[in-house]
Amino acid sequence: MYSYIVRRLAFGLVTIFAVSVLVFAILRILPGDPLVAIFGMEGFTKLSAADRASYMAQLGLSDPLWLQYLHWMRDIAGGNLGHSFFRSESVGEMIARRGPLTAEIALFSVALSWIVGVPVAIVSALKPNSIADNVSRFFSIFFLAVPGFWLGMLIVLFLLFVFGYKAPLAGASLFTDPVANLQIIVGPAIVLGLGQAAYIARMARSSLLEVIREDYVRTARAKGLSRRPVISRHALPNALLPVITLSGILLGFVLAGSIPVERAFGTPGLGYSMFTAVYERDVFVMQNLVFLYSIIFVLLNILVDLTIAWLDPRIRYR
Amino acid sequence: MTAAEPDSPLALEAIATAAKPTGPRRVGRGLRLFARRSPMSAFWGCIAALIIIVTVAAPELVPYDPLKSDFRAMTKPPTERHVFGTDQIGRDVLSRVIYGGRASLTVAIGAVAFGTTLGALWGLASGFLGGRFDLISQRIIEFLQSFPDLILAMAIAMALGAGFGTVIVAIAITRIPFGGRVIRAVVLSLKEMSYVEAARGVGASRLRVMLRHILPQCVAPYLILATTHLGVAIVIEAALGFLGVGIPPPTPTWGNMLADSLNAGLVPPWWLVLFPGAAITLTVLAFNLLGDGIRDILDPRLRSAV
Repeated sequence: MYSYIVRRLAFGLVTIFAVSVLVFAILRILPGDPLVAIFGMEGFTKLSAADRASYMAQLGLSDPLWLQYLHWMRDIAGGNLGHSFFRSESVGEMIARRGPLTAEIALFSVALSWIVGVPVAIVSALKPNSIADNVSRFFSIFFLAVPGFWLGMLIVLFLLFVFGYKAPLAGASLFTDPVANLQIIVGPAIVLGLGQAAYIARMARSSLLEVIREDYVRTARAKGLSRRPVISRHALPNALLPVITLSGILLGFVLAGSIPVERAFGTPGLGYSMFTAVYERDVFVMQNLVFLYSIIFVLLNILVDLTIAWLDPRIRYR
Repeated sequence: MTAAEPDSPLALEAIATAAKPTGPRRVGRGLRLFARRSPMSAFWGCIAALIIIVTVAAPELVPYDPLKSDFRAMTKPPTERHVFGTDQIGRDVLSRVIYGGRASLTVAIGAVAFGTTLGALWGLASGFLGGRFDLISQRIIEFLQSFPDLILAMAIAMALGAGFGTVIVAIAITRIPFGGRVIRAVVLSLKEMSYVEAARGVGASRLRVMLRHILPQCVAPYLILATTHLGVAIVIEAALGFLGVGIPPPTPTWGNMLADSLNAGLVPPWWLVLFPGAAITLTVLAFNLLGDGIRDILDPRLRSAV
């Protein structure tokens, strides 16, 4: 098990290095001048060549690329994530202030996806092609197709029209002001959770259908156990292994999905700042946030792999 | 959910085993079989075809110019004259939704034709050639997959600047690893088949085996993959448009129409929100169900499981 963990972590480090190079390459080397982003196309054309050069030097953009990359890595190692072009708050402060909200949304949505998805899958798999099965399959297909941010906009509109209700706009911590905090996260968490629940239900259903056909399940039934304990104790644990993997991957996608969803709800989380950074073409903020999100994504995948290895001896003893 | 498209082992397997010979003469019979075997998918296939026809024929069909504002009818709810209402500068929402479909579908089809195809060819080469090329390809694909696809597309679209071509490129790049992995898995299983061995045995060159014996078998899984990727690409495009890094206004797309609706005052008028989003949902639903249907027909063994 330990050699597996070490190998997995070493590969994770290599991946994070490759990801940092890729992020850097995409946001720095590709065409598109950051000065155009700061000053706008018109402002940019009015700048003299000397002005442009001095601004670029100020931003550290006139160094050779490898040096810029090293500086970036040095800054990150020193905990300095840089400043926005447009705001006084540093990126580090922004992450500390807004990150928890997005993390809460992500975790709540994952919990919700299991609470909704797994029971639906069990009902579906126990009676394939029954009415309940078809209804739940239709809903899961439907929620795979609905864009979360649109659903979010509809929910906001509905609450506003019917109840005249609007979630508080200012960020609130779970510990100091739990009521306001929950009001903020519940909308995005439900939307993102339903989206994931559709995947979870689909996966858990097909996986359960496969496991139910296995010999050991038939043996358990043959020795006289009734249906319920066979499903819950023999079939379900094995059937949920691929669902855990999927859920980990989905959690990563939820981080990305929360960007438009937070925009739709006006949630003051990290996804919203990602939207602002993209909207304002704020290259440095974007670079650090994309890198942060990818690191989380890579770590999540490692965590999932290790969990599976821990749960499934077949992988551990390879 | 946005562009989440985790390739579950089951889906991979379904696509991997879905290789059956097809010929142009059997297309007609195949379509009839398709309609009989899974009427639901055939129905949604018709919807998908209808959406494509409507968007292609948009200039003939739309009641108004999608870019022309009418200052006497600004932010008006649906009426008989404007069935889907008008936006804040008096443009007809129905016309804009239809034209929006044109932009969204062009981007989606372009991204799939470019990204999924490139990924598939890459997967074909790396699966067939194996060895060091395969090893390196696998690593590159894994690195590309260490970004959630929406974030990768956002970063690329932002770096390249907004526009039709850049959005297509940004989405296409996110499709490459998925195409690569699926087709590679198909090729790996095909390589072990005895007919491939036989072709090698009678002296066919590696290139010939790859192009004449393996490639045709990849067409069916590629089609399944492309159909599902169309749906994903439409959602990513909408999200990019919604976040302001998609195709820039005034060209209407479903995503930037939704973004626009948020600028229409404190509370977005419901018709500006409802119709573009419903169009996205309907289109994605149609392509997803069509894809499911194609998979079921090409690999009936999985019908009860998926």
